Amino acid sequence: MGLEYVRISPGFERYMPKDYVDLVNYGPFGRQVDVQQLGQFKELVEEHPMCAGCFMAYFIRIFYAALPNPEDTIVIGTAGCARLALSQAAVPFVYGNYGDTNAVASGLKRALTIRFPDKVKDVVVIAGDGGLIDIGFGMTMHSWFRREKFTTIMVDNEVYGNTGGQESGMSPKGVQLKMAPKGKQFDKINAVELAKVAGCVYVAKLAPTNPKRIARTIRRAILAARHFGPTFIHAYTSCNIEYSIPTDKVLEDARKREKQDFAFYEWMTDEVREYFEEIEKQSQEVKV
Amino acid sequence: MYYVAEVNESECAKYNCKQCVLFCPEPNTLMYHSTKHTAWVNYSRCKGCAICVYVCSDLLKRNCIQMVMMTAGD
Ligand SMILES: Cc1ncc(C[n+]2csc(CCOP(=O)(O)OP(=O)(O)O)c2C)c(N)n1
Ligand code: SF4
Ligand code: SF4
Ligand code: SF4
Repeated sequence: MGLEYVRISPGFERYMPKDYVDLVNYGPFGRQVDVQQLGQFKELVEEHPMCAGCFMAYFIRIFYAALPNPEDTIVIGTAGCARLALSQAAVPFVYGNYGDTNAVASGLKRALTIRFPDKVKDVVVIAGDGGLIDIGFGMTMHSWFRREKFTTIMVDNEVYGNTGGQESGMSPKGVQLKMAPKGKQFDKINAVELAKVAGCVYVAKLAPTNPKRIARTIRRAILAARHFGPTFIHAYTSCNIEYSIPTDKVLEDARKREKQDFAFYEWMTDEVREYFEEIEKQSQEVKV
Repeated sequence: MYYVAEVNESECAKYNCKQCVLFCPEPNTLMYHSTKHTAWVNYSRCKGCAICVYVCSDLLKRNCIQMVMMTAGD
């Protein structure tokens, strides 16, 4: 990170909140942090009201440590649990209306490209399965059809968590939820294949069991979106509340689901693959 | 009164490990001391999920973290 946009005017140090001062003194500004250094620097994301043991919150924590260029990144979220943490970070955040994230991101990315022609501005959408694949489905798809150059991350908890347990298109078939008492009647949507068909140039699926790999995947998705087109990450991020997972079993559940139906998967176009081979050879930039 | 994680620092320092720090869902909560080589908990931020205990005890068999009850003022 180059630009120091978080600084304190001389004389005001002792009046600033401690968290802000910590961010200036021990934050990732002016240096490139690695996810392995977590716990040894002040993180960009602050305390937030997501539930104890929530692995969506965990994924978001890793996300902020993995950003290749947080000072020039804009995060777009919407209604749903993720925004509760996304809105508490020292990275600009835009709250898109529910379902609108990918339309907002399309316009924003295009505007930033015109306004800052000599700068890289990364735009990343993070939203739930309901926000992206149910209610926002049309806008998600059309941003991909149009090859808009930003990253979409679906934090898939397989339910509408924030509104108390309705089934989503991403809930597995048969699952009983508070507001799906008969059990879900239809299959889980295959979001990864949809993304490939719709024009994404980099697509990945993962369960949050390996922080280094999550970080590498996020960086790759962002870098590929800068140069080539839309990119998509489908991340399993359990809702321990609606799925009644004891909090100390949340990582065990992620490891189990990884073995069942969330094995790490990564797909990219030849062009993107060649680009990664080149930059990963040249520098260690993408290797986290 | 609330439930928080507590690291046995002298035990933890034997391992040069850091794994629990990389799995805590909360930011700036389960920290790592670079020179003492031990994990430590910022109690006021810990939400008591015990994922760190699963990592240290169940996965790594190192048993260096316990959940403890805190009372206001601790
Ligand atoms: C246009 C609109 N419709 C409905 C809602 C109510 N609403 C808020 S969050 C939410 C569901 C969230 O589910 P999901 O997107 O899967 O995210 P999660 O909370 O599970 O992370 C709904 C329906 C809204 N805020 N706006
Ligand atoms: S309701 Fe579920 S997804 Fe939302 S913060 Fe709580 S555990 Fe996480
Ligand atoms: S997992 Fe256990 S041994 Fe490893 S750093 Fe954490 S407390 Fe220490
Ligand atoms: S109990 Fe949960 S929130 Fe507290 S330190 Fe352990 S992993 Fe982090």
